[in-house]
Amino acid sequence: MANEPKVRLRGLFKIFGPKDKEVLQHVKEGMGKEDLLEQHQHVLGLQDINVDMQAGEITVVMGLSGSGKSTLIRHLNRLIEPTAGEILVDGVDVMKLSETELREVRQTKMSMVFQKFALLPHRTVQQNAAMALKVRGSDEETQNTEARKWLARVGLQGYEDRYPAQLSGGMQQRVGIARALTANTDIMLMDEAFSALDPLIRTDMQNLLLELQDELQKTIVFITHDLDEALKLADHLVILKDGAVVQQGEPQGILMNPCDPYIEDFVSDINRARVLRVKSVMAPLKGTEFAGDVDIGDNLESLIARSEGDTTLHYRVMEGDTPVGELHMRDLVKALVPRLSSTEAAE
Amino acid sequence: MAFYDGVFKALGLSDWCGAEASSAPMSMADLLAQSSGEETKGEFFPFPSLDNLNESCSGIIQSRDVTKGIEEGFLAAKPVLKSILDPITQPLSWLLDGALWTFAETPWFIMVPILVAISWYASRSVGVTIFVAFSIFLLGLVDHYDVAMQTLSIIFVCTGISVMLGVPIGIAMSKSDRLQRSVVPVLDLLQTLPTFVYLIPLIFLFSVTESKLYGIAIILYAIVPVVRLTDLGIRLVDQDVIEAANAFGMNSRQKLMGVELPLALPNIMAGINQTIMMSLAMVVIASLVSAPGLGVNVLRGIRNLELGVGIVAGIGIVLLAVILDRVSKAALTRVDMTRVKH
Repeated sequence: MANEPKVRLRGLFKIFGPKDKEVLQHVKEGMGKEDLLEQHQHVLGLQDINVDMQAGEITVVMGLSGSGKSTLIRHLNRLIEPTAGEILVDGVDVMKLSETELREVRQTKMSMVFQKFALLPHRTVQQNAAMALKVRGSDEETQNTEARKWLARVGLQGYEDRYPAQLSGGMQQRVGIARALTANTDIMLMDEAFSALDPLIRTDMQNLLLELQDELQKTIVFITHDLDEALKLADHLVILKDGAVVQQGEPQGILMNPCDPYIEDFVSDINRARVLRVKSVMAPLKGTEFAGDVDIGDNLESLIARSEGDTTLHYRVMEGDTPVGELHMRDLVKALVPRLSSTEAAE
Repeated sequence: MAFYDGVFKALGLSDWCGAEASSAPMSMADLLAQSSGEETKGEFFPFPSLDNLNESCSGIIQSRDVTKGIEEGFLAAKPVLKSILDPITQPLSWLLDGALWTFAETPWFIMVPILVAISWYASRSVGVTIFVAFSIFLLGLVDHYDVAMQTLSIIFVCTGISVMLGVPIGIAMSKSDRLQRSVVPVLDLLQTLPTFVYLIPLIFLFSVTESKLYGIAIILYAIVPVVRLTDLGIRLVDQDVIEAANAFGMNSRQKLMGVELPLALPNIMAGINQTIMMSLAMVVIASLVSAPGLGVNVLRGIRNLELGVGIVAGIGIVLLAVILDRVSKAALTRVDMTRVKH
């Protein structure tokens, strides 16, 4: 497991239009999205994407609409052909596969969950869940037991014989997730999977996903436009703007050290107390007297509640049973104020 | 002196036109005018039609040469066309004759329950089934059972063949924009061409005693909606679902059978419903070329001015139309139900 990334994107470009290969050169020379559209009538989808996705991690790709995030995820299974670049899955370049090999990869290596669920309306919930196995040609017995197992796992026991139209949006997306899990692939692609759901159900689904991930350790690529969702789920966060990666890395790091005014604006109005964790604000262990022990993974909100707003307190930070640092409530409060975006600071 | 003389002279075409302009055959109108002793008065500025130009220049053909040319061209091509089309379409004759024979020879007390059972199986609706039974009873009551069965058998065969040919054509069209672009004008032509016009070349090609003559006419007319709606239905399938099918690695056959056709089925069924209705419309007209059935009685009503005969047959046709429409519509709704069942 020497950190060989499960999925690797190398120098990926996508230009929409009939002569994409020809105008690629202009983009490589630095032509922007607007100029390209105006001078060559081609739309720039993605430019120079380099992302490594580690096995067993949730990589979240975040961006506003039109930033190319849905385009990006469709490159992984080649639902969209890139203009240039490499897509390596387990070290194999997806671009070099024949049509049959590509189908094989889609059947056995990656499954996908869609924003609009995309279930087959004329098939029952169970048949939908078993879709991947049926495509692969598994026998009926396996199809049924596997589908039932995963439907039960996402909380849809007893709904096997209903039709998708009879279920609510949240339940339909559970079917979508069960369908992806039944495929039993290492990689799961989730394209704005929870964006069409209302906020409460969305939180439920996020918790379900994290729970499943604890258990299954899949490589998940998750697309979202919602920063709170991104921060909640991400092990590795990639922020896209106009088809280019603005910043990527560990989400807490991005929150504490945004490298671009765009991201500063982005992170300025989220609830930092809920997202930031002790780990990001703690100091090395020096003191001896503490008001108590806190876990390294706790979020700051829980600490504020615990200290009842007293900023003079210090806590010992524990990782499991070993003390790893200390936390001053003063630092915590400072961390709650977002770093001023550079434009505001200049004024 | 004809109006356009000067034009040809000015263009220097007098030699090509030839001097014997007056030797060309006269039109009937000219002849009549001559015999009634009146001089044909030239219009002040006649339209430069072929006939008018011909008066000035015999090198230019007359309008009647055009129709004559088409006719001669068709007759010249006829042996070749016939040698190709005859064997291909022969099975249609057998099918039609076979169906007519089966419907006629099966005793009514077997045939009627079968038809009622088919209606029940297709529609699963008590009301529709009772209506079908009642309508057939009414038709039988006025001794129109036999002719109605003839009409029905022709519709069964022609609709069946239309669907068998039309659905694959529609699928192919939905897969290829180029094919769609070239087939749509043909469909437009088939749909707008007056129905009688189909019959004219067909009469020349096949003998009126052959049943495939009206079979072809009906199929050509009725196949259009099923082709159009199959194409449309497949193109309208939700792209998200198609994308999901691709993402899970379906091949094109799995996609067609497992996703596209089932999701397009309501549209295809609507096309079949229209195809049935159009073959019923055409089967009446086809009685002009010896198609048996209720249409023959309508024709008799027109020819012999037998008002009652014509109207009874007409009502019979309406009854058949309502039966076929209700049964196929009920089947369509049933298919639609599985999509949005609440």
